[in-house]
Amino acid sequence: MKNTKILLLISIAVIFGINMFSGSINSYYYQIIIYCGINIVLATSLNLINGYTGQFSLGHAGFMAIGAYVSAALSTYLAPTLLSVLGDGVIGRAIWFIAVLTIGGAGAALAGIIVGVPSLRLKGDYLAITTLGFSEIIRVVIQNLNVIGASQGFRGLYVYDNGVRSLEMVPELSNVTFRFYDIPKYTDFFWAFLVAAIIIFGITNLMKSTYGRGFIAVKDDEIAAEAMGINTTRFKVTAFIIGAFFAGVAGGLYSHFLQYINPEDFNFLRSIEIVAMVILGGMGSTLGVVIAAIVLTILPELLRDVQQYRMIIYALLLIVMMLLRPQGLFGMKIDRKKKKISPLDKSDAVLNDKK
Amino acid sequence: MDILTLNNCTIKFGGLTAVDSLNANVQENELVGLIGPNGAGKTTIFNIITGVYAPTEGDVLFNGESIIKYKPYQVTHKGIARTFQNIRLCQSLSVKDNVKVSYNNSCKSKLLSSIFQLKGYHKEEKEIDDEIHELLKMFDLSVVADENAKNLPYGDQRKLEIVRALATKPKLLLLDEPAAGMNPSEKRNLMQLIEKVKDKFNISILLVEHDMNVVMGICERIYVLEYGKKIAEGKAEEIQKDPKVIEAYLGEPPK
Repeated sequence: MKNTKILLLISIAVIFGINMFSGSINSYYYQIIIYCGINIVLATSLNLINGYTGQFSLGHAGFMAIGAYVSAALSTYLAPTLLSVLGDGVIGRAIWFIAVLTIGGAGAALAGIIVGVPSLRLKGDYLAITTLGFSEIIRVVIQNLNVIGASQGFRGLYVYDNGVRSLEMVPELSNVTFRFYDIPKYTDFFWAFLVAAIIIFGITNLMKSTYGRGFIAVKDDEIAAEAMGINTTRFKVTAFIIGAFFAGVAGGLYSHFLQYINPEDFNFLRSIEIVAMVILGGMGSTLGVVIAAIVLTILPELLRDVQQYRMIIYALLLIVMMLLRPQGLFGMKIDRKKKKISPLDKSDAVLNDKK
Repeated sequence: MDILTLNNCTIKFGGLTAVDSLNANVQENELVGLIGPNGAGKTTIFNIITGVYAPTEGDVLFNGESIIKYKPYQVTHKGIARTFQNIRLCQSLSVKDNVKVSYNNSCKSKLLSSIFQLKGYHKEEKEIDDEIHELLKMFDLSVVADENAKNLPYGDQRKLEIVRALATKPKLLLLDEPAAGMNPSEKRNLMQLIEKVKDKFNISILLVEHDMNVVMGICERIYVLEYGKKIAEGKAEEIQKDPKVIEAYLGEPPK
């Protein structure tokens, strides 16, 4: 299959083409479509950690928050400099946007290393709790950082001609001219789905490769993977870093679309929502997760007509889904029979954990 | 020349001495058996060699180098591969992909090269595929190459574990009860296969096995353990006559 690169180029061209007509789409629908793109990025990147590598992380909202805030802060605080260097042309904006998204992603990836290296020694529920705690720490830290708006949220920056920078209008400087640098609305159909296409392409290729099988081997049986020469810790951390990076990029896309971010956007419900997409789509199935991300983005909107029952229906659908297809829409089959564990095996496992 | 040397190896789990100052060695291209009643410490020795446990005392030398400081995956990189007593295949992968996992370390295409399919990626993947095909053919597994590993019959799963271990290109292969659960004809096949593997790949094999027909049939030298202590060592005929071994397996002879 040598044509995956061509496939990527074609899909980018198609995305670019569709983007031309984005002006004619109803802005409400447009917003939902963009959210679909962002959620695809979030869900597929989490799928690499939860689905393929089998490390149950609940901290994706935290990584997303880091990406959103870092890129938004860069875009506003550096706006005067960036504008003078890059200008406001199409190419200037593109370079600017790519730069802030990448740095936002890198910030999230760095956080991924910091939280991943110590906590990936834990397994299952313990890892989930640790990552959940981490993502809450991020949120609380942001809530207390005044430079990025603390709990008020972050919208942009007032820069007065006498050099004063402030998040709010300063009444004492009412006679000084100022300019308001908001978070630029750079995210459009093209950018959101470009990132989505890149991550889908990347993960599909990775999982097909000999190297990528290592992730699945780590999920299936760590002891066996280790015995086959796989450095399981490195694979887990790698999955965490890539996942965190793209969560950060998704955060950047989010902040540059909504132009306003609030710490509450990144609470643990957001993490749960992304995990739901991965589980509904099927752990370890990129196609399934993409579809689930779209379904779970559109579904709550469709249910707006029955506002008061919305969350009930949503929850019921998830429960029914899990009962009928526990492996997810497109997931690999789960053997529901319990694996028999011989006493010897057990002692083996216990002793291994001790090391 | 010794490829593997256990120097006075002792391992204690709390008050239990699982392996007690064991001296043993495996020479190049030699097939050595390790037998003993249940709980004698055979699998523990495998775990010491492969770096799962660090010995409390003593040393393990592989090609003259101490390997007790290495982690399991590093030991594998050094050239020691193992199979497991309880089958540990990757349940969600196909037979072919299970073997592919073993090429993970030796393949040159790592993360970025795999994602972007850079130069040499396709060529290498094809080479790996061909090699895997050859290996599977040798073990009569090529017909089930795309089958999910967990759907294989028990005997084939055991064979697949050996293929997977061989794919890491080891110099020493540790087989932990490869014949367990096999019927007599499968066992005969396995014995032939083990000898063939030894000669074809020119490797040394350390074999733990309960089936005496298998052990006595193919092993050039045998160590007998009881309660972590070595009680006998030698060729099959010598072992069979050794009163200590008979006692360990059958109890004291009636007076």
